[in-house]
Parts: sequence; structure tokens; C-alpha cells
Amino acid sequence: MSASPVLETPSDHELASAYRAGDERAAAELVRRHAPALGRYLYSSGALPDEIDDLAQETLFRAFRRLDSWRGEASFRSWLFAIGGNVLRDEFRRHKGRRVLSLQDRDLPDRADPHADLAAAEAEEGLRRGIAALPRLQREVFLLRTQQGSGYAEIAAALGTTPGAARVHYHHAVKRLKELVR
Amino acid sequence: MSDCERLSDRMPEVARQRAAWTAEEAAHLASCADCRAEWELVLAARRLEARGPTVDPTAIAAAVQRRLATERTAGRRNRWFWATGAAAAAAAIAFAVTREPAARPDVAPVVAVEADPLVPLPELEGLETAQLDTLLQALDGPFAGASAADSASVDDSDAELDQLLATWEG
Repeated sequence: MSASPVLETPSDHELASAYRAGDERAAAELVRRHAPALGRYLYSSGALPDEIDDLAQETLFRAFRRLDSWRGEASFRSWLFAIGGNVLRDEFRRHKGRRVLSLQDRDLPDRADPHADLAAAEAEEGLRRGIAALPRLQREVFLLRTQQGSGYAEIAAALGTTPGAARVHYHHAVKRLKELVR
Repeated sequence: MSDCERLSDRMPEVARQRAAWTAEEAAHLASCADCRAEWELVLAARRLEARGPTVDPTAIAAAVQRRLATERTAGRRNRWFWATGAAAAAAAIAFAVTREPAARPDVAPVVAVEADPLVPLPELEGLETAQLDTLLQALDGPFAGASAADSASVDDSDAELDQLLATWEG
């Protein structure tokens, strides 16, 4: 009696190769796998909540158009987030910096202690503003490090810099944000 | 690497609950205000991510695939357009190069005219031999076309010049 085959989850590399070979379902799977995290990353970077879907879509569209440029030095997600950073920068330029982050109604908590939760929500919104105001590399390094847990080598590969420079960017970001949060 | 740097490097892993602080690290965290502030920041960034809006991956995937398909179709259309254009241009060039010269539009022929170096005055060619002889004789004579009075005045001037020279020479 032979053992039943084990269905392994394909890696991002395998999905990317399958898409290059013409498998459209591979693209859908990559989107399903990474779009939610991409949306949260864009939000943390300062994107307005009602723009997240469009920005995520634009990021993924650009990513699939130049999928050949992803060679695997960084993870697919880090590479995707770097493209998301470009999309966000373009969006910011398109609005000539007039975009204003706002505390959305849907961000307000609806729990037992509304005052404490509101204060927490405002503190987080303040942090989001602070992150959005960081220089681009500091912002991207900080978010990839704190939210994705990426190492400096991985971040450096995704953002086209060196691990040492990525570390410096992270510490500058932390220093600025500490002053903001205090 | 200092204790603070070591702790900083470990923060993302611990915040994601993929690791835990050692007793030594926890003691450092309790005693170092800078590290505590950074740790709070890392935790706040994690909370911020968790509060981010949810996107619909299925809708996004469909939209992205539609856009990619549209772009592929447009790319094929462009390639066809340029290929057709290039073929038409090549055909036009080939036709222009290989067609008969008689088919060329009427253009006034350009005839090279070489001037005879021995006849600088072409109007002389229309004269009879006798007329030419007369003309040549007239040219050979002194001061052809000049009046008798003109000639005399010239002669007088020469005589005056001779006289003047003789005076100077003593």
C-alpha cells in the first residue's frame, strides 16, 4: 500500500515560476497570500483607508508586470512592499503632499472603556502620522523590521541598500519615533 | 555589540511571539529606559499593523488579472500595428527601388552645356567672314572708335611729357 501523496503548499518562487509559465491561478494565489499584509503595510505607511484597495491593486499589478526582476534575494513579500512604497510615493506626489491622515470613524474602538481605547487609538494614529512623516528608507526599514520581522540583510536586498545602512536607518527611525511618542 | 543593540535585534522576534526574553534580557529591559521605549514602539507598530484595514484578496486578484490581460491584449495589438506598418513601409521601399525608370514622372531633362573656351563672345558666331574681318581690322587700328580729336590730344600729351622729362634731365 503506497502512502498518499502529501500536498505541499507551493513556495512563492514556485508560484512565480508557474505564473511566468502562463498559470494565471498562480498569480491569484500570490495575491491571496500577500494582499492582506500589503494592505496593512500601506495603511501603516500613511495611506488613507479608502485608498488601500486601489493602492494594493496598483502595487500587485506593477509587481506582476516586472516579476522577472524578482530574483529571490529578498522574500516576495519584502520585494512587494518595496514596490508598495514606490506606489505610495507616486500617490503622494500626485496629490502634491496635500494628503492628510485622519482618524476614521471605523478606527474608533467600541469596547468597555471607550475613553481608554480612544486614547490608545489616538496614540496609534499619532504613531502612524509619525511613521508617515519619516524619510522613505527609514519608514520602510522600520515597518519591515517591526511588522514583518525581517532581518537587515533581507531588508537591504528588498530596498537596494546594505545591511549596515538598513540598521542605521532603523535606529534613526526609532530615535525620531521615540521623541514623537514621549 | 552592546546589550541594548542585542536586545534591539531581538525585539521583532519577541514581539511576533516567535521567541521570548531570557531572564538576562528581561532584567536589562527592566533597568534600561531607552530599551523600554524602543520596545514600546515595536509593540505599538505591531498593534498598528493589526488594526490595519482588511482588503479583499479575491477582488484584488480579479482586478489585477483583468488589468494584466488588458495590457497583454494591448501589447499584442501594438505589436501587430507596428509589424503591419513595418511590412507596408518595406513593401513601399521595395516598389520604389525596383520599378521601371520610364514610370518616373516627367521631369525636364537636364542637359549639360559646355561653353567653347575659344569663343568667349558667342554673339560673334552669327557674323559672316567678311563682317568678322572688318571687325578685326577695326580692332587692330590705333584707338579704334576714337575720334581724330581724341587722338591728337593724346599725341599732344605725349609730346608734353617728353618735353617735361627733357627739362628734368637737364
